[in-house]
Amino acid sequence: MKLATCGYLMYPGIMLTGRNFGVLALMAIAFHGAQSGVPANSAMTEPQKQGAVFLDALSVPSPGEVFSAMNKACRPNWATLVTTATAPVTTERSQLALAVGVLTANGYVAVEAQDGQQVKNVGREMMALAKSLGVSQSLLGRGNSLMEFADNNDWEALADELEATENEVKNTMVEQKDHDLVTLTSAAAWLRGLEVATGVVLANDSLSGAAELHQPELARKLASQLDALPDRMKRGSLVPAVKRTLETIASLLEDPETKVDTLRKNYTRIHNDCSSVVKAILTSSTTLPSPAPSTTPSKS
Amino acid sequence: MAQDVVSSSGKLMAPIPTEARRLALETAGAFENDGFRIRDGEWGATLSKGAPVFLQVTLFAGENYWFVAASPVTGANLRLTVYDSSGKSVKSESWHSSLKGEGTQSAAGVAPTQSGKYFIGVESTNQTGSPAEQLVDFSLVYCYK
Repeated sequence: MKLATCGYLMYPGIMLTGRNFGVLALMAIAFHGAQSGVPANSAMTEPQKQGAVFLDALSVPSPGEVFSAMNKACRPNWATLVTTATAPVTTERSQLALAVGVLTANGYVAVEAQDGQQVKNVGREMMALAKSLGVSQSLLGRGNSLMEFADNNDWEALADELEATENEVKNTMVEQKDHDLVTLTSAAAWLRGLEVATGVVLANDSLSGAAELHQPELARKLASQLDALPDRMKRGSLVPAVKRTLETIASLLEDPETKVDTLRKNYTRIHNDCSSVVKAILTSSTTLPSPAPSTTPSKS
Repeated sequence: MAQDVVSSSGKLMAPIPTEARRLALETAGAFENDGFRIRDGEWGATLSKGAPVFLQVTLFAGENYWFVAASPVTGANLRLTVYDSSGKSVKSESWHSSLKGEGTQSAAGVAPTQSGKYFIGVESTNQTGSPAEQLVDFSLVYCYK
């Protein structure tokens, strides 16, 4: 029996109970007969907007959401986007947390490409990172599930399990009073997702999918969260580089110019900056590599 | 929030979801059957009468979303509203259920035409009971496709 993996643990009963079928029937009515319209509260006040909760697990889109949007916009050839990556050898917890995010996004690419072996490789690397972070004990079951789902080509379950694994790492970070690391993992996952997505956008002449990636406010928010990290976590070059990259991305996405040439130039810069910082995250030394030459990804 | 459980051997076991979360996931599970993918995360909070609370989310143009809030309190009358980045409410589909003994579930569906920042507002419109009874625990999850 397939278990629903839609939470912090599996719920074997949720999808299959009679009650659930009742809800399903109600939903069928909802989809076809729900009331549409503008609700009673027509506008938020400024204090309400400023006070809105920003939750890492829901306010930052998962790489799976980014890629789902890309699938609708331009049908990427995911098999050409799969990359092999190994966890960096480092004792810097901030870098390890960033690497968890990058590898999670890589896992989603492998799921989209339906490359089971690569998903297994990502799973193994994530377990290695979890061990380095001292959070591996609670993740052994997740690792085994990833392997099992990959063996069974259960791609939807794999995508769910990847997000659950990432969240379990984050939960353990919180339990260990390392909440600041969670921000780094989320930022890195989003940056790696953006690197892949901008590569897809740049590979087509019409830049299909560019509008879907227009999220300067999220880049600004993540940058401000990194800025608020304790000084001890901003030592070295890596975390400041991630923050600078997010600020640059926000500025480029805020550019009101809509000409295709300008968009292509901006998205190329975003892609290259993301590539550079992702490479640095996965490098065993925290020294940043030399700036990459400004190249446009090849068209598929 | 989910509660951690320690077994008799002292080993940390999987957390137990709150009843609100269980109800929210049960409702969202129906959307999953329609091809939606549920985010692995929740927003849990307590509502008081006349005081809506808001969550910031990032949505993609072209995607479909359902936000589901649930409370174990029957008659809590949860109302979900989706707002754009400027704070204006967005046209959405809505669904609501409050059967005796089965808590309250509400859902709002939206298909944004622009990517970016949005807000989800949750409020209880329950007008009965003492002020203490008007405090309502809820859990919110969302799914997309």
